[in-house]
Amino acid sequence: MASSNNKFKNFLRWIASGWMLILFFVLFFLFWEYSIPLFEIPRYILPAPSEIVQKGSADFDKLIYYTGVTGLETVLGYFLAIILGLGFGIAISFSSILRRTLYPFFVSIEMTPKIAFAPLFISWFGFGLLPKVIIVILVCFFPIVLNAILAFNSLSNELTLFHKSTGASALKTFFKIRLPAAMPQCFVGFKYAAINATVGATIAEFIGSDQGLGFYISIVTGNMRPDLAFAGIFFLTLLGLTLFGFVTLMEKILIPWHISMKRINN
Amino acid sequence: MEEFIKIHSIKKIFGSGEDQVHAFGPADISIKSGEFISILGPSGCGKSTLMLMMAGLLRSSSGSISFDNQIVSEPKTDIGIMFQDNTLVPWRTVEGNIKLQLELRGLSPNDYADKIHEILKSVNLEDFKDRFPSELSGGMQQRAAFCQAMIHEPKTILLDEPLGKLDAMTRERIRTDIQNLWMTHKPTVIFVTHSIEEAVQLSSRVILITPRPGKIDREIEIDLPYPRNLEVKRSQKFFKYVTEIQEVFHQYGVI
Repeated sequence: MASSNNKFKNFLRWIASGWMLILFFVLFFLFWEYSIPLFEIPRYILPAPSEIVQKGSADFDKLIYYTGVTGLETVLGYFLAIILGLGFGIAISFSSILRRTLYPFFVSIEMTPKIAFAPLFISWFGFGLLPKVIIVILVCFFPIVLNAILAFNSLSNELTLFHKSTGASALKTFFKIRLPAAMPQCFVGFKYAAINATVGATIAEFIGSDQGLGFYISIVTGNMRPDLAFAGIFFLTLLGLTLFGFVTLMEKILIPWHISMKRINN
Repeated sequence: MEEFIKIHSIKKIFGSGEDQVHAFGPADISIKSGEFISILGPSGCGKSTLMLMMAGLLRSSSGSISFDNQIVSEPKTDIGIMFQDNTLVPWRTVEGNIKLQLELRGLSPNDYADKIHEILKSVNLEDFKDRFPSELSGGMQQRAAFCQAMIHEPKTILLDEPLGKLDAMTRERIRTDIQNLWMTHKPTVIFVTHSIEEAVQLSSRVILITPRPGKIDREIEIDLPYPRNLEVKRSQKFFKYVTEIQEVFHQYGVI
């Protein structure tokens, strides 16, 4: 009885918080829609949402195709960055030489705005897929590698002493203790990188490209078509949300214990 | 009984030059097999340092420790170890955490299925074997950690203030668990604590450590019958031991 009562309460709570968000968005778009005629905002400055939907749907096929192009750059770059970031992160965590050489190097590069390299990569590798993927990797790599180093170096003192007292091999300790213990902090890096990934792909396309959503947005903005630019931004947002949603889902699947631990501690 | 553990002029200094901290020793201790020894002292006296050196997890600055005439020179793997903060991993259930100890040692968890059941039952955790540590209270977590530390049936058990973070009632309860286990299996127990009452209740011998740098002030044999239940704890003799130890620490200005 008590548990079904609780479930009902949770459901009500979910409705309450969910509806507030939906209501907020509805009010936001209504305000946007009606403030255009009200404040006499010219449509070449800011179009109404209804117009964005209407004009954008005429370009729907192109937008879908470009979402695929930008999506491929983003996803390829992102997953390569995870592989490289985890690889380097683990190597640096376990090698004192790398920790004294590569690690400070990475930390100092982290201070450089990576996107500043974008024009160089375009000039080196041309207009195709490769320079965009490299720029996405560059943007995503650092949060992943730095969080991985933090993750693999923060095993509690007790667990370190415990595994030493069992005489387990380094490999066994890695898979049974170090790797799972590091996952939550690694996901902090994966999530942060997921947010940056579409930024990298879009800016790379701004600089030199003949397809993709970034290319689309820069062209239609040049043609004084903010309605289409907003349509492009909408698809970019969708792309970013999908990637972030996927990473969050992976976190739930791979480390469910971490999610429930957080819930209990809160 | 045979002399089992021999600690000879052991000393630990951390750091070097002007920054060096003399943490412990020199001290000599000899322990017989099956004894329950409490290392009792104020915080910062180096008693945990001593325990880590015994486990081979910390190198001594000078002196030696030997088990059965074998000098400790690397982490000892034939011991059970427990700390104030438990060694349960959050991604495994209570049972999974106990199995972790076996897996890390290359032992087959299947061979230990009965023993796992038995030890969980002895601390009343059998209904919680599928729970994750985050779902347990601090006391239950520590009991689970206790099972984890004992499952491979070590001859020597090193306990570093395992009850330090628990409330008074839970401490009382787990002391009984530890005492029962010791009475049944008679392992050699080294119990690091700063609770005088706890040391007197559990130990066959209490070793009093001075404030830093920790040295042995004296050793007191506790001649009270086991099991040391409430009745024993209410006795004159129990009270006398507690007072005697209190006097010692009072002289050091600790209490």
